[in-house]
Amino acid sequence: MTNSECKSCPVHHEAHLRALGIDMSRYDFVVALAGNPNTGKSTLFNALTGLRQHTGNWPGKTVARAEGAFAFGESRYKVVDLPGTYSLLSTSTDEEVARDFILFGKPDVTVIVVDATRLQRSLNLVLQILEITDRAVLALNLMDEAGRHGIEVDVRGLSKALGVPVVPMVARSREGLPTLLQMIDEVATGAYRCKPRRLKMERRVVEEMVCSLEEKLAEVFPGVPNLRWVALRLLEGDQSMMEAVSEGHLGAYEALPESEPEEVLALAQELRWQLGTDFHDELMESIFSEAAKIAGKVVRMEGKKEAFSLDRAIDRVVTSRLWGFPIMLGLLALVFWLTIVGANYPSAMLSGLLVERGHPFLRDLFLSVGAPAWLTGLLIDGAYLSAAWVVSVMLPPMAIFFPLFTLLEDFGYLPRVSFNMDRLFKRVGAHGKQALTMSMGFGCNAAGVVATRVIDSPRERLIAIITNNFALCNGRWPLQILLATVFIGAVAPAHWAGVISAAAVVGVAVLGILFSLAVSWALSRTVLKGEASAFSLELPPYRPPRFWETLYTSFIERTLIVLWRAVVFALPAGMVIWLLANVHVGGLPLAEHFIRAADPVAMIFGLNGVILLAYLVAIPANELVIPTILMLTVMHLGMEGVAPGQGVLFELEDAQGIAEIFTAGGWTLLTAVNVMLFSLLHNPCSTTIYTIYKETGSAKWTALATFLPIGLGLLVCLLVALVAG
Amino acid sequence: MLSGLLLVPLLVFMPEKGLWTRWRRRRQNMLRVWMEDALKALYNCEYKGISCDVGGLAGRLGISQDRVLQVLQKLRDQSLVKTEGEQVLLTRLGRSYALRIIRIHRIWESYLANETGMAETDWHRLADLREHELSMEEVNALAGRLGNPVFDPHGDPIPSATGELPRPKGMPLRDLPEGKEGIIIHLEDEPPEVYAQLVAMGLYPGMVVRMLEKDDKRLRFEAHGEELLLAPLLSSNVTVRALEEEDRVFDAGLSLLEVPLGEEVEVAGISRACRGQQRRRLMDLGIVRGNHIKPLFRAPGGEPTAYDVLGASIALREEQAKHIFVKRIQNDK
Ligand SMILES: Nc1nc2c(ncn2[C@@H]2O[C@H](COP(=O)(O)OP(=O)(O)O)[C@@H](O)[C@H]2O)c(=O)[nH]1
Ligand SMILES: [Mg+2]
Repeated sequence: MTNSECKSCPVHHEAHLRALGIDMSRYDFVVALAGNPNTGKSTLFNALTGLRQHTGNWPGKTVARAEGAFAFGESRYKVVDLPGTYSLLSTSTDEEVARDFILFGKPDVTVIVVDATRLQRSLNLVLQILEITDRAVLALNLMDEAGRHGIEVDVRGLSKALGVPVVPMVARSREGLPTLLQMIDEVATGAYRCKPRRLKMERRVVEEMVCSLEEKLAEVFPGVPNLRWVALRLLEGDQSMMEAVSEGHLGAYEALPESEPEEVLALAQELRWQLGTDFHDELMESIFSEAAKIAGKVVRMEGKKEAFSLDRAIDRVVTSRLWGFPIMLGLLALVFWLTIVGANYPSAMLSGLLVERGHPFLRDLFLSVGAPAWLTGLLIDGAYLSAAWVVSVMLPPMAIFFPLFTLLEDFGYLPRVSFNMDRLFKRVGAHGKQALTMSMGFGCNAAGVVATRVIDSPRERLIAIITNNFALCNGRWPLQILLATVFIGAVAPAHWAGVISAAAVVGVAVLGILFSLAVSWALSRTVLKGEASAFSLELPPYRPPRFWETLYTSFIERTLIVLWRAVVFALPAGMVIWLLANVHVGGLPLAEHFIRAADPVAMIFGLNGVILLAYLVAIPANELVIPTILMLTVMHLGMEGVAPGQGVLFELEDAQGIAEIFTAGGWTLLTAVNVMLFSLLHNPCSTTIYTIYKETGSAKWTALATFLPIGLGLLVCLLVALVAG
Repeated sequence: MLSGLLLVPLLVFMPEKGLWTRWRRRRQNMLRVWMEDALKALYNCEYKGISCDVGGLAGRLGISQDRVLQVLQKLRDQSLVKTEGEQVLLTRLGRSYALRIIRIHRIWESYLANETGMAETDWHRLADLREHELSMEEVNALAGRLGNPVFDPHGDPIPSATGELPRPKGMPLRDLPEGKEGIIIHLEDEPPEVYAQLVAMGLYPGMVVRMLEKDDKRLRFEAHGEELLLAPLLSSNVTVRALEEEDRVFDAGLSLLEVPLGEEVEVAGISRACRGQQRRRLMDLGIVRGNHIKPLFRAPGGEPTAYDVLGASIALREEQAKHIFVKRIQNDK
């Protein structure tokens, strides 16, 4: 099969694409996907590899690089999805990953994914990449949107101006994919030879300086194709480039044996002093003016209507003084309502299946095969039961909350929420996007912490991570609702009971938001005072979300990962709980010893020993607090006949029974209020702590995020106890 | 009682941790700090071509003349300086030592300016402390991370790792002829009070100024479309260079903050006061001289504002918009 035959049969070609997923065992060529954020790189990556990298309408989601593979025709390709960047000339980690890969990873083809509706803006990066490599293909993506907005691009003109193949396409619907594959193949095999356009500095003196350095480089490293890029990087003081030059090898090229690489560096240093402080500015200006020239020639606007007028119209409404906040709160309330109402039924079902049926079944199974009682207790009453609990309480709300959230994200609404809220967050030294990571925290704090990746300023990101725990996650909602119903609703007049207990729960959540703001404020003025901060917030175009795709990826990416971690932590916790309740020392269970010792201290804070112990053992998962408290209370009091078994986790259906247990355990309204407060203000669960550590890479910040809320919680409980006492 | 009495001398004379050793070490440290400061001061005199004597050094270092003599003796012992009559001169060794300290100081200032949120007026003071603590290796590694800056945030050249520094350029602001334009290439950061005043006036390296009028008592000049007054004495802390034909200047009259919603304008430049990551971010997003920008709508609280930059909506806060200078687009028709 020859190439020329196939140009006319694109459908035929698509059949030759075989997605290989992550099977990269053998490949002939490496393809890198580069481009601005939010231009469809991951969508294209998924289309090629058959994988499901998260794609979302929000700049900055692809953080590390993803790899996959596909086969086309005779050849196998490895594909690398690079983080989206606007430039390769700055110093952020994303850009470094992308730059180093294009430069040193030596991809056989770099596919530059470009937003056809914003060509001029994308050309900045394109021109930079073409400085580095001469094996590139431009994927002119989002042609459907360009068409809708009346933007026309002269594809051949663009290809001629840039000196590389340009393929118009719609990655979402795989339109243009065959041609793209064809061009990738041709460039990789050398059938198509690119002649990329090279940059020129606008000011003559500066251009001469760059040339002189380039010439000097050519004396030392003859034959290197992208010496101009090397020269530009040296004039920007790029450390890795300086090291490469001084060590005498640029990628695969060695310095001439007799030459003096140090002379190059000395010249660069001298030139940099002459150039003054503005070189980077001038370079960017030269690139953008080039981009303007090219775009001016090849982009045509059709009709009189301004592009994106619909986007702008929606924006004016959702960010208006009148409607901005009501729409925001309405949507948030809707998401919560759907979560709470929708989760009820599946939660009950799962609990029925896993706890009420599964538990006795497994227990009997163990006993019937003659397993010793302690083993059954440890594995089934301990590990299994707590994991079952966590799954049935956590899974349904998360499986509803996160997809809903992701739909809003994909539509493009979430950045507008950040936009609306930014002023408030700015006052406390934080970033508007914290509004989102906080909302995400209502679903799960660990997910909220991961979501802070969209905050690209180091200081604001730390603030968002440390304060995320103040968002009442859904593992803590059940406790709030239960205690509010049993204790607070009970003191209100009967027909107001429902409303008042609901108000109490919302009150605690709002208190959490206030704490989050106050702590952000305090952090940004104390420990995080000198940390760097750089604000930027892009409002992406609105895009109709792809419903099923979104549901699928958000379920896999957010829900299952979080759930899996929670279960992993809940298993050992369940065993510990069982051991505490069932291992006897001096005639009493271990837990009893702790409870008696802790009681006097706990009383000062308006709590009791049982509660403290429950919080200690429930560090892995907040969902376990209530069952543990019930179990320990019953055990502590030696109550008979209320629980399914001595020293086994349980929860009761009817509030009346629970109220009786609590009252017998000596609980008062004060205890309930303090437990509710403490549930809001205590250490994050172990999953979240672990996530914080992974995201910050710092034991210091992790410790702060862990202990600060406990300190605050104890303080608040003490104050309430003092006031009430 | 007896053991208590024994404890006191132990506490004082205990090796390593005893008070005496600590005090000795502190003294030695202080001495080293003074020596290094003296070398720096001597280098500065040499760089500017002015002579330096014991009295001048005492003033600059804020210590007594006796102490200065003691410090100089130490420096002579190590062949770092030599004296010719009243004048104190650096030896080659001394010069390279001084350049090392200056490099550390200026790299640290660049770090503070670009990578932290420290206030501008604190940079110099903090760098003065750190310059005696950091090793050259640490500083070179830091410089690498910062993109090996060759100028510090005040516009001073930073000595290279091999100890080179370019010849000084420019002239004090008061030498700029009336009616002529010049570019500020340096703001002296010592003494700090004067520097703080210059910063408060909004001066920064790279700014274009035009001398309007000058006499013995004051200089009257224009910068950013504003008229400023300065005492001639203070003006020696501002170094300028005459503006050349091909120089890039932007007339920073209008800030983006003042542009009404819906008016498209052309970016003239970003103020030097916006640095580091923040500055690069803005440019990467397309806020670069020559590109167009248009305020679209504001958040309910009045801030931030969304701008159209090359077809994308970018939200900026007030303190960012303030630093972006723009030109109105002339409507030909
Ligand atoms: N209309 C349209 N939307 C697209 C196309 N390609 C990608 N998208 C959407 O653009 C958004 C960003 O895509 P993504 O692949 O995550 O971009 P990345 O940030 O470059 O990896 C997602 O909402 C995609 O569904 C396309 O060709 N047409
Ligand atoms: Mg992506």
